[in-house]
Amino acid sequence: MTTNSSGKKNLTTGRQPETLSDMLQRRGVSRRAFLKYAAMTASLMALPPTMANVMAANLARARRQSVIWLSFQECTGCTESLTRSMRPTLEDLIFDFISLDYHHTLQAVSGHAAEEARRNAMKENKGKYIVIVDGSVPIKDGGIYSMIAGMTNLQILEETVNDAFAVVAVGTCAAYGGLPHADPNPTGAVPISDLVKDKPLINLPGCPPIPEVMSGTLSYVLSFGKIPELDHLARPLSFYGETIHDRCYRRPFYDRGLFAKSFDDEGARKGWCLYELGCKGPVAYNSCATMKWNGGVSFPIQSGHGCLGCSEPNFWDMGGFYKPLSTGLGNMGSALAGAAVAGAALGGGSAWLARKHQGEYMKNLVDHEKDKAGQNSKKEN
Amino acid sequence: MSLTAKKADQQGDLSDDQRIINAMHTFVNDFGLTAATYMESCVKCGLCAQACQFYVTTGNPKYTPIGKIRPFQQAYDRHMGPFAPVYRFFNLVPAVTLKELKYWQELIYDSCTLCGRCTLICPMGIDIAELVKEARHGMFEAGLIPERLALMDRTTVAWGSPATPAEDFAEIIEEISQEYDVPINVDKEKANILVTLAPAELGDHTKAVADMAKILNSIDADWTLCSDGFEASNIGFINGDLALQKKLTMKLIETAQRIGAKTLVLPECGHAYGAARWEAARWYGGPVPVNVVHMTEFLDDLVSTGKIKLDHVDETASFHDPCQLVRRGGVTKAPRQIMEALGLDLIEMEDSGSFGWCCGGGGGVVSNTRADKLRHKVFDLKKKQFEETGAKRLVTACGQCRITLTMGAKHINWNQETDSLLELVANNLVT
Amino acid sequence: MELLEFARGPALQSAMVIFVAGVLWRIIGILALPFISIPSRARKGVLPEGEVKGWFEGIWRRMWPHKSFIRQALFSTINGHVYHIGLFVVVFLFAPHIAFIKDLTGLSWASLPSNLVNAVGVVTAASLIAALIHRLTNPVQRLISTFNDYFSWFVTLAPVLTGLLAVSHLGARYETLLAIHLLSIALLLIWFPFGKLMHAFLFVVSRGATGARMKHRGAQI
Repeated sequence: MTTNSSGKKNLTTGRQPETLSDMLQRRGVSRRAFLKYAAMTASLMALPPTMANVMAANLARARRQSVIWLSFQECTGCTESLTRSMRPTLEDLIFDFISLDYHHTLQAVSGHAAEEARRNAMKENKGKYIVIVDGSVPIKDGGIYSMIAGMTNLQILEETVNDAFAVVAVGTCAAYGGLPHADPNPTGAVPISDLVKDKPLINLPGCPPIPEVMSGTLSYVLSFGKIPELDHLARPLSFYGETIHDRCYRRPFYDRGLFAKSFDDEGARKGWCLYELGCKGPVAYNSCATMKWNGGVSFPIQSGHGCLGCSEPNFWDMGGFYKPLSTGLGNMGSALAGAAVAGAALGGGSAWLARKHQGEYMKNLVDHEKDKAGQNSKKEN
Repeated sequence: MSLTAKKADQQGDLSDDQRIINAMHTFVNDFGLTAATYMESCVKCGLCAQACQFYVTTGNPKYTPIGKIRPFQQAYDRHMGPFAPVYRFFNLVPAVTLKELKYWQELIYDSCTLCGRCTLICPMGIDIAELVKEARHGMFEAGLIPERLALMDRTTVAWGSPATPAEDFAEIIEEISQEYDVPINVDKEKANILVTLAPAELGDHTKAVADMAKILNSIDADWTLCSDGFEASNIGFINGDLALQKKLTMKLIETAQRIGAKTLVLPECGHAYGAARWEAARWYGGPVPVNVVHMTEFLDDLVSTGKIKLDHVDETASFHDPCQLVRRGGVTKAPRQIMEALGLDLIEMEDSGSFGWCCGGGGGVVSNTRADKLRHKVFDLKKKQFEETGAKRLVTACGQCRITLTMGAKHINWNQETDSLLELVANNLVT
Repeated sequence: MELLEFARGPALQSAMVIFVAGVLWRIIGILALPFISIPSRARKGVLPEGEVKGWFEGIWRRMWPHKSFIRQALFSTINGHVYHIGLFVVVFLFAPHIAFIKDLTGLSWASLPSNLVNAVGVVTAASLIAALIHRLTNPVQRLISTFNDYFSWFVTLAPVLTGLLAVSHLGARYETLLAIHLLSIALLLIWFPFGKLMHAFLFVVSRGATGARMKHRGAQI
């Protein structure tokens, strides 16, 4: 990775950073390829065609963006995803282009030097740098469950975010608390959105998120200097606006009522809908079905497994990956048996009371014709 | 709904509260699981109104059959239903008020003939007619029935019959015997067949008694009438006076047992059939020890077994189906077979058999004079259906139907007589 | 997503508990009342088995009105059949619903194409709306209708409408629509035992008892 060393050089020398256009020229990327990238990103984000040119122009002029990447309670899967492209693409170059001033996995330096690099970047780019966070923040017991350089994750986050331009929560842990947040959440893990209230925040959930979603969002910020349109969970609408189900190539089978009943039945072999095998596609908002993974090769449903809904909050606590969406959560057996017993008892009780009334009530009758014959037989009725 | 109860009658001098208690508590006594299910099953589709002559001819939704039992429903919900304890505790279903009971008196007595058409249309199979009849039990105990019916009740309690004191019976029969020149057996000690009568047959329709005797004599039957057990019409059944209903029923059974009768022949009367054929077992405590048959069934048996032969009338006729006999009683084919034997060309009305419209006088309505206006109105329906057949004769097998149809025709100056099947058989008997 | 979790979890669970307890409460509360029978002799030829037959005949016969009543009962009957059959198809032949039942009971069966079920759902909703219009405009029904009738109508229509919205993703996000759909079902389940929807169980007894009674007398069922 040349990014870090060149990035660091820039920061330390204080030289006016080169533009993206300069860098691409230096790397021998044609203008045509660059325009293609801008057009593709614009279309991914559903921007109007005219905006592709604006994006290209803005991107070309853009200077290196200082980025501080904070890793908290996470598995590094997000970083793995972002760096594991099958072939070098322009997306990679976008990551090459940004100045990744602090990133545990990718930075060369360590220890005090690393922390110093973070503080320097914060000082030099005050109010301009972007903080990317992956991983959730433990806040239970003073946040002691995850500490870096003697500071809790919470302290680092607060210190770093203070002068940031915007915060991007990458991956489901940062966006919603993720796996550490799963019941019973022993560390008191919380999402970034719980802690950062006064800065623009973008959530890019997914376990992991799609690389193009990451680069596309960053390109947008670089081009337009603002954050894209977000949904109610602070996800860019252009990538998280539709469900997997809506864009799933198996949707026609759902509509026709053709469902795989097990993973090795005829339906599964024929590629029928996986709804009954617990696919969460209908409630998962993400671009997997259109952008796919590994350079557009496939995505989970295409490889025969239902969507887990990893871009949605609490996806691991949704009653099991193999439980159909339309089913209830939890085991009802004993509760229903109890209900049946209670209901039967109430029914029996009310009938007993009613029978008792029948006997007693008849004693309350007063004959309206005192001299009427046959009145004695009435009580026998 | 504004409850303006006009003409609500009341009997006795019970306090208002006691009337309510009597009504509610008697209502409660009628709820077994069948009636309870009926109360629980209504989906309020309103189709029963379409089967009810009182609604169809007036268009007034208050005559919707299932709506006629609302106080009964309320008693159920408040005292007997599965949620009754909850309803009572939170007073979600209030007790019925006297005003309401008085309002419903008209609906339960004046505008329901217990004809049971509503039962047949109900998609939930609710036997609404039966429920109305049961609701009358509470109304009676509350002393809240039409005065005219109460009068008949009192008379029957005193005399054993609404029109004829038992001690006058033998004398009246003797007069009929002389008038029609037919020997009529009365008070034989032992007989195979006990014949019973309805009030009209000791009044307007005395010929029916003679006709009956004529037929029975022609087959040399061992039969008799009895002074202490002649009254088959059961005013208790109609009024909701269960004690009286029981008394009248038991009297018939005891008389039959005393004289050793194998067969008890009921007169041409619908409610007599309901009370003696289907409900008697309730009071006797099991299947009654005598074969109870309606006059129509009896005649049908004589005709079909060839014991009597009939001359042919060769005229067109239509049959008015008495509700308690046909729809509620299951005797549909017998009258038609007799008419065929009489050579009558039967032209059925649009709605016939189990679906025939009531004459409008059943369930005590014909005796309840304050309901005359309404009864005359619903009579149009019957008249129209009969006229559409173009038949010459209107035949029926129930004295009450016959009176209702005759009075209805008279009221509108319609020149149409109603014939009794028994009379036709007797008139055309080959001797 | 939290609403959906609530709907799939606590809401549906408590609704089902109330449903089961309520249904048994009501059914047993009725069936444990004294059985008042009048032991009259049946019409000649009608055996006790015949009365059992009459019970079933009553249940079957009242599916469709007698000829004499067809004209007056036409709308109610046809519309009633449309939404009853529609509800049956939608509830029991839609794959996600079968998955729900399978999860609950272990029983499953073949489903109909989802598009077809959607179409049936639209017809069912329209039919239910027609039923309400009829109830509101027909003086008889308006007079005898109570809160029970209108609320039962509402809790029946609501799952149909919310279900249609959910499958067509109209108005809100799918998970919200699905949650609302499940909540509307919870409402239906909670109301079911206490309102007139219980006729779904009780018709067996009310029709059957009348069928047996009429058969006993040899009368028309």
